[in-house]
Amino acid sequence: MLEQLPALILLAPLFGALLIGLVGLHDRRACFPIAFASLVVSLASALGAAMRAFTGGAYNYFIGGWEEPLGISIVLRVDALNGLLLIAIAVVAVLAVIFTIRPSSEKDTDKTAYFYILFLLLCVGLFGITITGDAFNLFVLIEVSALTSYGLVAIGTSRRCKMAAFHYLLMGTVGASFYLLGVGYLYLKTGSLNIEDINTILTTNATVAQSPGIVTAFLLILVGIWIKMAFFPLYGWLPNAYSYCPSGSSCLLAPLMTKVSVYVMIRVMLSLFGLEWVFGHPGWSDLVVWLAVIAILAGSIMALAQREIKRMLCYLIVAEIGYMVGGAWLNDPNLWGLTGASYHILADALMTLCLFLFAGILFKYHGISEIGDLGGLFKKMPLTSIGFVIGALAMIGVPPTSGFFSKFYLIRGGIEGGHPEYVGALLISSLVNAVLFFRIFEIAYFGKNPADGHSHDHGHDSHGHDDHGEAASPVLREAPTYALIPLLAAAALILLLGIFNGQIIELIRTAFGNSAIVVSNLR
Amino acid sequence: MNPKLYASIAVIITGLVLLYGISDFPTFGDPRSPANSGVEGGAPSTSLYYINESYGATKVPNLVTSVLADYRGYDTMFETVVVFAAGMAIFAILRCFGRDDEAVITAPTKSSIDGDHNRIIVGTTCRLAVPVVQIFALYVVAHGHHSPGGGFQGGVMLGASFILIALAGNLNDALGRFSERSYMTLASLGIIIYAGFGVLPQVLGKNFLDFGVLEKFFLTDGPEMARSHSMLGVEIGVALTVMSIMFAIFANLSSRGTLKGGL
Repeated sequence: MLEQLPALILLAPLFGALLIGLVGLHDRRACFPIAFASLVVSLASALGAAMRAFTGGAYNYFIGGWEEPLGISIVLRVDALNGLLLIAIAVVAVLAVIFTIRPSSEKDTDKTAYFYILFLLLCVGLFGITITGDAFNLFVLIEVSALTSYGLVAIGTSRRCKMAAFHYLLMGTVGASFYLLGVGYLYLKTGSLNIEDINTILTTNATVAQSPGIVTAFLLILVGIWIKMAFFPLYGWLPNAYSYCPSGSSCLLAPLMTKVSVYVMIRVMLSLFGLEWVFGHPGWSDLVVWLAVIAILAGSIMALAQREIKRMLCYLIVAEIGYMVGGAWLNDPNLWGLTGASYHILADALMTLCLFLFAGILFKYHGISEIGDLGGLFKKMPLTSIGFVIGALAMIGVPPTSGFFSKFYLIRGGIEGGHPEYVGALLISSLVNAVLFFRIFEIAYFGKNPADGHSHDHGHDSHGHDDHGEAASPVLREAPTYALIPLLAAAALILLLGIFNGQIIELIRTAFGNSAIVVSNLR
Repeated sequence: MNPKLYASIAVIITGLVLLYGISDFPTFGDPRSPANSGVEGGAPSTSLYYINESYGATKVPNLVTSVLADYRGYDTMFETVVVFAAGMAIFAILRCFGRDDEAVITAPTKSSIDGDHNRIIVGTTCRLAVPVVQIFALYVVAHGHHSPGGGFQGGVMLGASFILIALAGNLNDALGRFSERSYMTLASLGIIIYAGFGVLPQVLGKNFLDFGVLEKFFLTDGPEMARSHSMLGVEIGVALTVMSIMFAIFANLSSRGTLKGGL
């Protein structure tokens, strides 16, 4: 039974979605329990499957039982790196699904069943992308996750979320096509689709590895994934899609979609082409790190200009993607950059979840979306505020939150790899994050009454409205328990991930195999 | 600046990269290309393995089917899930369970096609054609082992036969035969059949989609025939899902999600 866990991780939500398809339309109350139960099963299987990889090293699960020769069938492969990510996805999905419980007062919409089907299928796609050992299967699951996420964005009632979804659809399709084209070139040159198999061919056969076809394949795959992860010049779809979609969707989409794409990039660099091949091309590393620097700075500056909480968070995601791409491409001798980037995938998933849950609570229960309206928040909603503060501190990078440690490793990689511009960009971005979040803290703590919520600038201006804002103030009340549980759990996990960073970093580095020197005494 | 300029630059760069890649293509139909026979000096490619071994291992003469439904059956299952997810996304956007008054305003109930026309010729032709289309579709599903065909193609034809009913008469006729409740059930059921064929071996202690172990159920001699029969089973699952989603997308699009009136 234990050997079946890798398959069970995605089969549980798949069957959950199908079950909702069978019964959900007739009885909407059945949707949530089915979704929750299937995600809990996934979480348990992910824990089991990952534990086996942590203790016994990477292992394969052969779909259909075809083992020899490698690559005739599809392989699921679990190692320490994707084991951690599988757990993270399952945790985020479980917490996000708890947040989707509707308050009994709120009108139940007819689309509940479709929402949960798409929600679960998106989880299937993300788990599948993470666990697969096959380059083409990765594409199929990118399609599953992409289609469902377009649906989850468009399910909102407003017109602009439909437009955002359409824009997202166009960009996402281009990204997926580029990836597919790249896989086609790879198949053309190697005759294989299995990631391990292709890697063996590329490392043993230098003429194939240096051929133009392989280089083209890499470029196409890379650009495709960059579109999917909203790397800076290709980020256009993200802010609208994530800020206009319903809160329940954004709590799943924002923490996971881009992060899983970053994982795919790391997987492609590490396991498909191999780091020696990628960094064997002079200039690539510098170029991408510079792109990442621009991404970080641009994301931070654009975040500074936003008035709405969700939009601000969206631009912060763009900056965070810059952190991870830059870190992965630092090419420092001890791979601290890649380590930091891998660790930051987990850290960023949790802190994005935390902050989007916070934004979701404010919007769902109080209709607040602008930063200026947060006055008096800390007093009226203390528990929500605790969750938010921890998420914000992690985003800034204050110890002992996980955000501090990921920045620590990334900066270490930047210094050892000789990229002062990357280190500088990271520090500037942290500073910008501090400005952004302390501005919110200030409003939430000192602003006595929420301002009437439009037509004025943010920050300092809201104090000017204190004297006459009384009548228009929305009633701030503590969020209900089922919204607080995921928020506080996410906050607690951010702290735990930070405190146990040493062990997690060690695990990540075991996944890098021979190409990394595993240093254990770094705490 | 003109956005078209940026687009042109992006297109030109992409084109140059693709041309650079083409310079490295093997000659058309080259039997020694990596995809056909494997990298020079390396192990033989997987396609060579399929050509040599797949008939022996699965007893399916059409090796496209054996690769699609067995070796890479996991991909095919998710392709079916993609179809399902696309349907769900479209329903999530379009489907409105609106009160009747709203529905009447938005739905194109009276079109020039619908109305008092004498539809004897169209109606009779379609009534005659639909059973033939469906029987041929079933043949395509069942005959995927031996000739081009299979679940996706057969499913599309089955879906098209219901769309034909809707086009010739009206949507309500078609929905009377294939209601929302039944298409949602069948769409889910299709993938449940597919994934069920995968889970059954797991219950028997083998890996997901390892059809060979199902020989006890099919009362066949040897795992090869069990694989062959299971492939038929999963093709039927695919056909059910594709058929339902095809028709459902048509029904939702043509009536703007109300499932009333329509074309």
